[in-house]
Amino acid sequence: MPATTTEDLGGGEAIIRLQDIAKSYWREALEIPVLKGIDLDIPKGGYVALMGPSGSGKTTLLNLIAGIDRPSGGGLEVCGYALNDLDDDELAAWRNAHVGFIFQNYNLVPVLNAYENVELPLLLQPLSRSERRRRVLEALSLVNLEDRMWNYPRQLSGGQEQRVAIARAIVTDPDLLVADEPTGALDHKNAEEVLQLMERLNRELGKTIVMVTHDPKAAHHARHQIHLEKGVLDRMVEVNQ
Amino acid sequence: MIGLLVLLPFAAYLGWLLWAAFFLPVPLSYNLRSLWQRKVSTFSTAGAIALVVGIFVVVLSLAQGLSVAFVTSGRDDQALVLRPNARFELNSSIERERMRILKVHPLLAREGEQPLCSAEVVAVKLFQKSNGDDTNVTIRGMEPMGLRLRPQARIVEGRWFRPGVSEVVVPRKMQGRFPGMEVGGIVKMGGRQWDIVGAFEAGGSSAESEIWTDVADLMQAYKRDSYSTLLARLQDANRIGEFTRSVDEDKRLKLEVVTERAYFKELTKAGDPIAVLGNLITVILTGGAIFSAMNTMFAAVANRTKEIGMLRALGFRQRDILASFQWEAILLCGAGGLVGAGLATFANGIQTGTTSFDTFSDVGFAFTITPGLMAQGVAFSLVMGLLGGFLPAWRASRIPLTEAMKGG
Ligand SMILES: Nc1ncnc2c1ncn2[C@@H]1O[C@H](COP(=O)(O)OP(=O)(O)OP(=O)(O)O)[C@@H](O)[C@H]1O
Ligand SMILES: [Mg+2]
Repeated sequence: MPATTTEDLGGGEAIIRLQDIAKSYWREALEIPVLKGIDLDIPKGGYVALMGPSGSGKTTLLNLIAGIDRPSGGGLEVCGYALNDLDDDELAAWRNAHVGFIFQNYNLVPVLNAYENVELPLLLQPLSRSERRRRVLEALSLVNLEDRMWNYPRQLSGGQEQRVAIARAIVTDPDLLVADEPTGALDHKNAEEVLQLMERLNRELGKTIVMVTHDPKAAHHARHQIHLEKGVLDRMVEVNQ
Repeated sequence: MIGLLVLLPFAAYLGWLLWAAFFLPVPLSYNLRSLWQRKVSTFSTAGAIALVVGIFVVVLSLAQGLSVAFVTSGRDDQALVLRPNARFELNSSIERERMRILKVHPLLAREGEQPLCSAEVVAVKLFQKSNGDDTNVTIRGMEPMGLRLRPQARIVEGRWFRPGVSEVVVPRKMQGRFPGMEVGGIVKMGGRQWDIVGAFEAGGSSAESEIWTDVADLMQAYKRDSYSTLLARLQDANRIGEFTRSVDEDKRLKLEVVTERAYFKELTKAGDPIAVLGNLITVILTGGAIFSAMNTMFAAVANRTKEIGMLRALGFRQRDILASFQWEAILLCGAGGLVGAGLATFANGIQTGTTSFDTFSDVGFAFTITPGLMAQGVAFSLVMGLLGGFLPAWRASRIPLTEAMKGG
């Protein structure tokens, strides 16, 4: 199987480079390989939908790219950093600076209001309160929720919650957004709204996006689709839009 | 050495936590609101802590009240002369002849010709308390100099007793606990009626459990021919050893000397069984409260597994999570501690008494809930939060980041 190269994904400078990535879990002495020999380059400004059957390793691969898990073998360079060389604290700081997370269940803190949820990642950066405020308001206006900033998650609809989560993901102005089933918990109309928002982030702000999804309609919003099958990259499809 | 090995990391951890409260990124308001959100578990745990801290503070004040009762009485330059091996005043007796020789001892402090000493008789009499129980009360007969040797005693109503006319003074504290002790009333002792002419206070010391009168009157009423003890001030506190030896070796005397302070220290042990019981109860309850706090925090951590994973994904570090949950436990227990210390103030001023196991007579004291004791109670609750919260906070900090990505 040929490696998926940057050329395949539309050229340009690669922001994500995976070389011979493997990931196994161990159950007692038994090795359970989840990812095997993954080679993948994703260019800066790309928008990739990661697809495949359940259990094929999509989330596992996304976790490695986002630096919240470590590979069992192989090397990866993301946003200019060889992640294997970073210790846990450095990796945490790297995630804070370079990666925005969008989760299936939004993962908003229920006791914090929209404003405070969006502010969370900024608390790790040496910013003044007023600078944080400026950025939070900017992010909230991008997702069109300034008027809801004092609402708590339970006072928001699922679509609004996910938009708050997207604001939280972009408030640090990261290069890379990772999303695991971002529309999995949403109805069609809200899903469409979230997908259009992500498309705008990709096209207008140049964010590189890696999105795991089951839904072909969601995948259609991406520029490229990558298929995983039993831990191996199966095929790559360019989306005709 | 081992203590130091344990204490040093503990102190370092504590210092770091304090620093973390101000400089680590997870704001405390996040914890406060999380506590507020799970009201039922927060209130039941804080309530348990409050109860324990309340009891803890009351037990502390009890122990302190007892030791005040005995210890404030003692002076280093005053000595008590007793029959050998008597141990307590009640068991002691000194014949008139020996007392006469003792009173002219050259080491006694003097004022002109007068030696600063008081020959005294101690007796006990059964009195009925306001609640109907009978209890022994110490009756002390003293010479006029006896009042001079107890400067902490002062009249708060009426006047001191006069010799020869069957008058007594009673402690202010005793008036509430025994009926008919008002100034102007009478008490019956030794087949006589005694006029109560005054009420006194003595700085919370054990004197506040005694009825005082003139020694000659008391000996006459009780048909006693010998004294119990001599309380004497020495010229020099440093010569107590010399005084002790000479009184012991003098063939005409053969008596035992203890400093007043040592004597009362010995008496303090009367409070020991109570203190031991109180401490035991406190320890058991404390264990329960810490366990309850730990349980609550473990449940909170389990409920917020995804939230914690998400925080880690956003870039919060393990130690940020550790500090955050440790503080949540401390805030939880501290809130309980504040309430408990407040509850303890209801015990403030309650007068009570206990039977001294050595002298078999009643020792009165009051619960005094001082700000210091309350602060100790709150500090105690913070320590409970520290201990009960550590393991849950540790577990929280070890939650894998990948939890954030799990669906469901
Ligand atoms: N912590 C773990 N320990 C052991 N096995 C694991 C662990 N995490 C994932 N796996 C296994 O790895 C495989 C890939 O899991 P992964 O979550 O990446 O799949 P996925 O493609 O995201 O599936 P889905 O579409 O259902 O989300 C699965 O077989 C799963 O059981
Ligand atoms: Mg998955």
